[in-house]
Amino acid sequence: MMVLPFIGLAGSAAAALAGRRGIAIGLWLVSLIGTLALLSAHATSALNLNF
Amino acid sequence: MALLHARTLNALGLLGCSAILLVAFGYQFLLGELPCPLCLLQRAAFAASGVGFALNIRFGSRPSHYGVTILSAVAGAVVAGRQVALHVVPGTGGYGSTLMGVHFYTLALIAFVALIGAVGVLLLVGEALRPETRGQHDGWLFGKACLLLFLGIVLANAVSTAAECGGGLCPDDPTHYEALDAWLKDERRLP
Repeated sequence: MMVLPFIGLAGSAAAALAGRRGIAIGLWLVSLIGTLALLSAHATSALNLNF
Repeated sequence: MALLHARTLNALGLLGCSAILLVAFGYQFLLGELPCPLCLLQRAAFAASGVGFALNIRFGSRPSHYGVTILSAVAGAVVAGRQVALHVVPGTGGYGSTLMGVHFYTLALIAFVALIGAVGVLLLVGEALRPETRGQHDGWLFGKACLLLFLGIVLANAVSTAAECGGGLCPDDPTHYEALDAWLKDERRLP
């Protein structure tokens, strides 16, 4: 799941490079929504670490 | 400023996003610090911010492309702010090592705010920049190189995240590359 935003954003950058603006923006939007959805899954997680 | 091309400035912005991701990679591989889930989401937000600069490099500067960068930076600031809040209470410790005495999630929050400010400045001085003409290739080669570098770094992040977390959610306190280790273990079991 955590890998999906990176795959989407890599696809977005590749689409931009290939001249496909619509696809690039679409993939960016999906990836950003995915990132925020993943944040909601981790928003309550406290790191139990001692340094 | 008038001599500066908008494409070059956006390429520098993209280089900045790439540099941040490279520094994070350096700490991950040279110092063995595995990124936590919130750290990964901040990396994703930096990559998403870079997409706005990439669009400006490829298709020319447009307000909608700057919007891509601003929205991504706001999302990243929310994630970084959340992590700062997790550790802001004295005695709760921090995650990972520091750079100049500041934890990376705090630096990320500062960087996202700075990114929003930088885009604001770019929008403000946009009219003063040398206008692009159709077919003009000034800065395109440099921009293309930056775009390819950025694409490589984002792909490397995808591979690294897959090795750490596999297809599921990452552990809150990662200690090793779970998916990669599990895959290597399965490989050794095979005859």
